[in-house]
Amino acid sequence: MISAYIVLTIMAVGLFIAAKRKGDGSHKNGISSGFRTLKSMLPLLIVAFILAGILPKAIPPTVIQKWLGMEAGWKGIVIGSLAGALIPGGPYVAFPIIGSIYEAGAALGTAVAFVTSWALCGITIVAFEIPFVGPKFTLMRYSLVLFLPFLAGLLAHILFA
Amino acid sequence: MYIAAVILGIMAYLRGGMENLLQGLTAGFKTVFISFPLIILAMIVAGLLQVLVSQDFIKRWLGKEAGLKGIFLAGLAGALIPGGPYVYYPIAVSFFAAGAEIGTVMAFVTAKNLWSLSRIPWEMALLGPEITVVRYIVTFIFPIVIGLIANILYSKYSSSLRKWIVAAQKARGESK
Repeated sequence: MISAYIVLTIMAVGLFIAAKRKGDGSHKNGISSGFRTLKSMLPLLIVAFILAGILPKAIPPTVIQKWLGMEAGWKGIVIGSLAGALIPGGPYVAFPIIGSIYEAGAALGTAVAFVTSWALCGITIVAFEIPFVGPKFTLMRYSLVLFLPFLAGLLAHILFA
Repeated sequence: MYIAAVILGIMAYLRGGMENLLQGLTAGFKTVFISFPLIILAMIVAGLLQVLVSQDFIKRWLGKEAGLKGIFLAGLAGALIPGGPYVYYPIAVSFFAAGAEIGTVMAFVTAKNLWSLSRIPWEMALLGPEITVVRYIVTFIFPIVIGLIANILYSKYSSSLRKWIVAAQKARGESK
């Protein structure tokens, strides 16, 4: 979180200086355009955050843990690919859940499929994606990345397990 | 979105009653407040990018003609940008609106999801180095491949996607 602040602040300051040096009021336009987006997107953003908050209450991580159990091999990889998409929130929410499943005895391929699925197909992402780039983009992206968690788990299993 | 929130809310209620639902709501509102300064920063970065990055630049580096070079560059940008989807989707919108190709935007988003540098410390600390290293190795090529495939399969939809985004911006009163 802190590093995100630092990097984004540096980016914002750098871009602001670059825009100001253009000398045509770009810096003001950029900032006010940013605030317009913020204002118009805020209701949807709040709903998305609430979605992310309710999700673990509707589908508790313990349920997902039970699904995964000790399944290894391709079966574990398939379940990991599906379950990862249901893990909500950012890394500080998702990783402890995934870590606990690995420690409980899930195979490496399962864990890798799980992380990849959370990163690519996580449903929290969709809540933010649709308002910004539209449902069509989401569908196209899913059609491309849906099988990747399985592939990642399989590669991990073959190469490293 | 609103419907999904209501459905999940009902599921949470059925599972653990009012208290369970309220816990979820509180957790959601808490993240809004915690992330709010980051969201403001992200919107400012996206807004400045939109005025700074000229159409020519995008065309040359991230547009159709940029091809593989554009996909690599977008992937690199995705790896470097920190923060959640409320940070990188506004930026993806700026790229798209300025004329970036679908494969470029797809590579940007996929690289953000898979190559994210700012996530490595979390992943190392909470998942352990074994999963982290293996995961980065086996998924390393994905963003590039996804960008290339997206350009082959969905290039014809680039302009209709752009239209949607610009129309959405206009509807929100952001048109310049």
